[in-house]
Order: sequence, then C-alpha cells, then structure tokens
Amino acid sequence: MISTEVAISKLRRDLTVGAMMKWIMIAGFALALVIGPFVGARSELLIGMALLGAGWMAWGFRSFRDTHRATQFPSLIATGQFDVAEDQIERLVRTFSPFKNVKLLGVHHLAMLRHAQSRWQDTAALCRALLRQRLGSMSGLNKTSRLILADALLEMNDLPGAYEAIERLYDQRLSLSEAMNLMAIQLDYESRIGAWDSMMQNLAYKVQLAEVMNTASSARTQALLALAAKKTGRKDWHEWLRRRVELLTDVQKLATQRPLLWEVWEAEKRSQEPEARSQ
Amino acid sequence: MTDPPPTFLDVPTLLEQSQPRHNPNVLLYAAAAFVLLVFTSAYFSSASGTAATLVNDMSSIAMLGIVFAMGVATWRVARRARSEQEQLAAIEELMQLRRWPDAAVLVEQILSKPTRTPQARVQALLYLSSVLTRYHRFEDAIRVQNELIEHVNFDPNTAHALRLARAMAMLHEDHLFDADRAISELRRQDPNRQSAGLALVEIYRDVKTGHPHEAIEMFDAMKPAMQQQLGHRIADAYALMGKAYDLVGRELEARAAVENATVLAPAGELARRYSEFASLLEKYKPATAPAKAA
Repeated sequence: MISTEVAISKLRRDLTVGAMMKWIMIAGFALALVIGPFVGARSELLIGMALLGAGWMAWGFRSFRDTHRATQFPSLIATGQFDVAEDQIERLVRTFSPFKNVKLLGVHHLAMLRHAQSRWQDTAALCRALLRQRLGSMSGLNKTSRLILADALLEMNDLPGAYEAIERLYDQRLSLSEAMNLMAIQLDYESRIGAWDSMMQNLAYKVQLAEVMNTASSARTQALLALAAKKTGRKDWHEWLRRRVELLTDVQKLATQRPLLWEVWEAEKRSQEPEARSQ
Repeated sequence: MTDPPPTFLDVPTLLEQSQPRHNPNVLLYAAAAFVLLVFTSAYFSSASGTAATLVNDMSSIAMLGIVFAMGVATWRVARRARSEQEQLAAIEELMQLRRWPDAAVLVEQILSKPTRTPQARVQALLYLSSVLTRYHRFEDAIRVQNELIEHVNFDPNTAHALRLARAMAMLHEDHLFDADRAISELRRQDPNRQSAGLALVEIYRDVKTGHPHEAIEMFDAMKPAMQQQLGHRIADAYALMGKAYDLVGRELEARAAVENATVLAPAGELARRYSEFASLLEKYKPATAPAKAA
C-alpha cells in the first residue's frame, strides 16, 4: 500500500520533472529551428526533432491509455473492490509520466479510495496536495476534490476547514451529482453548528435531491432534515422524514455513525433504555 | 397519398441513424495527395538545383503545415466528442430529476444522427430504453434492450441491470413466458448474486401471475438487500407487497405496505408504474405528504 507521503512527493517530483522536460524540448525545438540553417545540419536536426516528437507522442499515447484506464477506478471503488483499485492506482502513481493529467488523476483517485476506506487524514492530505497544483485542463478535479476534502474534514471535526472547502464551491457550476454531494455535506456541517433554519430552506427541493442519492446518503440526508424539522417545530415534516429513513435504513446503525441523529428517535431511545437496563 | 407523420422516438430509425460512420474517403484523399506531392517534388528536384532547394524548403513548410493541421483536426474531434459526452451527462441528469420530456428530446437529438463514438451510441441507447419504459412503450424498450444485449459486450453489472430492465418490460407487456425465461437466465448466470432488482422483478411476476405467497416470501428474505440496493425504489416493492397481502386477505399488512410505499413515493407515480397498485388506492388510504415548507 502506497503511503500518502510517498504519493504526494511522487506527484510533486513528477510534475516538476515533467514540466522541465517539456520546457527543455520546446527550447530544443526552437534552438534547432533557429541555429539549424547556420550550422549546416538542418536535415539531421529535423530528423532528430521528428524522432523526439514521435517518442513524445508515443509516451503521450501511453499516458492517454493510462488516463482512460483510470476511468474505471471510481466504479472499482464504488463496488468495494478496494484491493484491485489500490493495486492499479499505486501502479499509476508510481509510474513516471511527464504528463500532468496522469499524475493528477492518480492522486485524485487515491484520495477517493482513502475516502471510501474512511482514512480521513490521508484523504485530506491528498486532496490538499492536489488542490495546491495548477490543474489546467483537469480543473473538473477541483470540485470533486473539494467535496471529498470537505467531507473528510467534517469527519475529522475540523469545522472551519470544512467551511472553507465548501465556501469555494459556491461560485462554481456544479453537476447534479456534485450538487447532491455538496448538499449532503452542507447539511452535515449545518447540523453541527446548529443552523436549523438554514437547513429548512428549500426543504422540498432538498428532499427531492435526497431521493436521487444512494441509499446511505439519502437516509442520512433525510435524517438530518428530520432533525432540523424537529428543531424548528415542523412536526409534520419531522414525522414524515423520520418514517422515510426508517424504511430506507437501519436506524441504529445510522445514529451510531452520527450520534446527533439520536434526537430524531429520542422517544424510541428512551423507551429502549429501561428495557436494556432490565435485561 | 401522404406519408404518415414521423413518430417521436421511432426506434428502428434511431437505431439506424445513430450508427457511427467513418469516412474512409478522407484517408484515401489524404494518401492520394501525399503520393502526388512526393512524385511532384521528386520531379522538380531532379529538374534543377534551384528547384531542389525550393522543394526542400517547401517540404519543410508542408511538414509543419501537416503537423499543425493534424493538431487542429485532433482538437476539433476531441471538442465534438466532449460536447457529445456533455449531452449524455445532461440526459442522465434530466432523467434523475424526472424531467422526462426534456430527456426524450435530447435522446432523440443525439440518436437521430451518427454518434461520434460507438460508446456514446450505447450510452444513448441505454437512456432511450429508460425513456421508452417511462412512457410505457415497453415493446420499443425491449427492442432497444435486445439490440444492446445482442451486440454489446457489457460489464457484468450493466449487463445484469439491462437484462433486469428487459424482464420488467416483458412483464409489463404481459410476455409472461419470455419474462419467466429471462428471470431463469438471470438466476442461472449468477446464482450467488443477492440482486434486489431481480427480487423486485420476481415479486412483480408472482403478483401478476397470482402467486402472492411466493411474493411475500421473497420480500421477507430480500428486504435488507432491497433496502440497501434500491433506495427509494423500494417503494415499488412495498406497492407490490400491498397487492400481494391484499390478495391473501391480510388487510392490515396490505394497509401498512400501501402506506410505506406512499411515504417513499407519490401514490400517483406508483399507480402509473403498476396498474395493480392503482386498484389498491380505492381500498387503502395512501400516506399524505406534509405541506411544503415556507
């Protein structure tokens, strides 16, 4: 298993070496074009340039193949095939490539894997390392990495850090799945700071989005909304959302992950406690 | 005699028109131009020393020109492929948001001309089958699904989901024999898979064919997997269970199942999906959603 420190240092080193190689090649080409006619070796220089260009293109093709292969990693992670994903991502991160996209994708997927493995510290460190880079054509990674970072920081109870990560997403255009993730993370954040009124804004829309999420996220989001409804005195919504969550998931498990949510099932919990004591 | 008006989402036409087409003529023209260029330059080079220098210089410029043109061509191809991908992503979002008419228009747009890549065509056809199912055009949906199953090599999960959707469409269309064969095939292919989708299809088959006890048994056995895998679509299972309990005269359980189903999904939507559920709504009261928050 590749350590976070190694992955980050590989990323930095490869990006630096890749950028240097690119500039040396550009300078070499320019120099060959300028001095070629004067030194009388124009055809040799042209052949050299063509060979270098061909080599660079072949490397580019290999990197393109790696990038294409990397598109399978999220589904491996989503289906819980962590070992296979770990193996392939590690290979991608350790292999040198002068192309920025490959390296950034490798580290991004490693962050996704660590997030799925609930290794929050590693996730946050990898996302931060990625966000420090200029992403260029991979700017789409910015939003996903920020979402993962915000979630990891929330899990680590770093509320200011999570706020900072979320805040920067508001001036960006998000896809539906990113908007859903952001909503889930924001509700989690707001529940921790007790911003119940804010949670209840656009409630119907939030519930509609939650219905499209995967079961675990949907249940947690609706449970958080049920809590907000209870706190703001909307008993009808509290009851409705609570019943939905009960039909979607094991409440015991959900509230163990987020003890704050016990309040939604306060009456049930109280009735269970004497039973437990009597046993 | 006038031609019949064009059908919206006409499956045979869309299947035909969406085939990606490569233009082999472009390569032929390029090869011919290259050969012509080589012969012309060889002729002029042999004519005189000045012409040879000129040809050399022109060749260098032509080489740079070709590299530049290739770069521009690659960029344009990539841009068009990206735009197609964006359209496909938009369809997916529209479907998730249940904006079916918009999704249908966009699917028609993509499939009514050759797609850039075979993968984009496959993706668009998958969306087309979902849209057709939504509009209860099950025969057309089955046709698209058959086309995909016969011609595309999917990963196991997608193949399973596609076969499930086809079996469901067959049941809706009362092709009970075909549906039963499709279900058996799915069971045989992966006997160890705990598929909530397959359980839902089997429950629907059992309710439809008057085997409520089997449906109840299946639901009880698969409930945790269904909760985990189906999310809000477990409402479908509760709706069908309402019917199954009603068929065996367990009215209390039927009432609870109808309530559970309608807590998770609007009664109208469930009745639209399953005609069997619509009749239950006259007998059992669905749950009512709270008034929208301010």
